[in-house]
Amino acid sequence: MKLRGQVALISDGEAESGRAIARKLLTAGSRVVINVAPTADVESLKAAFGPAEKERGEVLWTQYGLIHTADVEDLWKEVLTHWRRVDVLVHNSQLVRPVSVEDCDPRLYQELMDVNVKSAFLLTQAFGRQAETNSGRIIYVSTIHDQKPSGSSFVYSVAKGALAMLAREAALDLGRRGVSVNVIEMGPVEGDDVRFASSLSDVYTAYRFKVPSAVLGTYEDLAHVVWFLALPESRFLNGASIRLDGGFHLHYMNHKMKRE
Amino acid sequence: MGFEGKVALVTGAGTGIGKGVAVALGRQGAKVAVNYIVDPAAAEDTVRQIVDAGGEATSVLADVSLPEQVANMVGLVVDVYGGIDILVNNAARQPNLSLLEYDEATYDAVMAVNCMGYWLMIQAVVPSMKARGGGRIINISSVHGKRPTDFDVVYAMSKGGIKMLSREAAIELARYQITVNVIEPGAVRVGAKSGNPRPIVPPGLAPEIRRQDAHSKFPLGRVGQPEDIAHVVAFLASAESEYITGAAIRADGGSMLL
Repeated sequence: MKLRGQVALISDGEAESGRAIARKLLTAGSRVVINVAPTADVESLKAAFGPAEKERGEVLWTQYGLIHTADVEDLWKEVLTHWRRVDVLVHNSQLVRPVSVEDCDPRLYQELMDVNVKSAFLLTQAFGRQAETNSGRIIYVSTIHDQKPSGSSFVYSVAKGALAMLAREAALDLGRRGVSVNVIEMGPVEGDDVRFASSLSDVYTAYRFKVPSAVLGTYEDLAHVVWFLALPESRFLNGASIRLDGGFHLHYMNHKMKRE
Repeated sequence: MGFEGKVALVTGAGTGIGKGVAVALGRQGAKVAVNYIVDPAAAEDTVRQIVDAGGEATSVLADVSLPEQVANMVGLVVDVYGGIDILVNNAARQPNLSLLEYDEATYDAVMAVNCMGYWLMIQAVVPSMKARGGGRIINISSVHGKRPTDFDVVYAMSKGGIKMLSREAAIELARYQITVNVIEPGAVRVGAKSGNPRPIVPPGLAPEIRRQDAHSKFPLGRVGQPEDIAHVVAFLASAESEYITGAAIRADGGSMLL
């Protein structure tokens, strides 16, 4: 229960990954704000969240868009009214769409950039504007595709490449006020071969076996590292990118895969 | 004179690195389209320097963050010069604002020019490069695609985005023999930059401290010049560099090592 008394804000309750993170932080004693998109069906998401919230701790469900300053300010106002503080910000918004450099529509480009990185920028500003801030954690859940091209979703990669630099800048700027800012570069989970299906890159072909152990990651693995970064003892981690991919990124010799 | 018969389009070529690149390619035989947005006289000066050296160049107005203007500019260059072989993405805004100083509109504008604009330009020139059997795309990034600036968060974000744009474009466009590479300049001494409303170092800091600070950050003992970057562009744009794609060359006098 090392996070007792803290308030964590998680950007995306629509995603199973966001809910897994929320569960983990609740179990550690944190209070949790779970934001979902204005269009989301909150009641069914609450149901999907699992056992009664009071058994887990306190949850505040909020419903705000995150790609305009005014909406993020409204979200922050509601959270501060409710709990008067935010200690941990977890940005986990992931929108992956197959698009090519040659054919992508500019409006789709903009949407993908806004959801995947502008939201992180605006939330980080809101976190930094808490006048009394002299500690805190910002955790961006990113992807190995902030380094490795996907061959299928270039705008997602561009957005997460930008997010990596936001982390380094905020690690300096907010670091002077005791806030640490880190990135998790998440690797393959079940379904990523479909999400990142590519005619240009075979990185997701037999992808399970490109993890040296031949075991894919789970959102519980992700939630564990989020929890670790949120711990008070992790205070000296700042501006770091933690690759959480079981070694997937290192693979390149197909004939040496565990299965084949 | 390595670029006879080649056509280059350089964005943001009225000043600074873009100007140095345009002039270098023009002097080496390329026909150069000199893109600008704010200062036609500066672009005309770039054109004049190329023409004076016996080359051929023309200035073209476009805001690279607007798809229609990009399409019109590229269409014009293809009409005038027959196609495009070399694209140098260089136009960038750098308002020098910190995390909490940025407002949403400025964030949007910087990301639109520095990041989306690079992609829009690539998308627009690909048909011509395909038709010509290949091409060279060179994205001017910055050491701040990796190292934070500590003075302009969104500028660094845009450069981080360009890193991944270049890698993705490199694998997507390789089948057309189009290469996509990045140059990461460190500090480069340029004239008054149009997109730079605020000095990086606060006015309170004495100039001699600024100079000492700058000098101590460059193992080679000097800040870069636009020509330093232009050399690397010419190398990557050359026929001999056809096997290099998705690469990044840091050209910073060693500053990233300190």
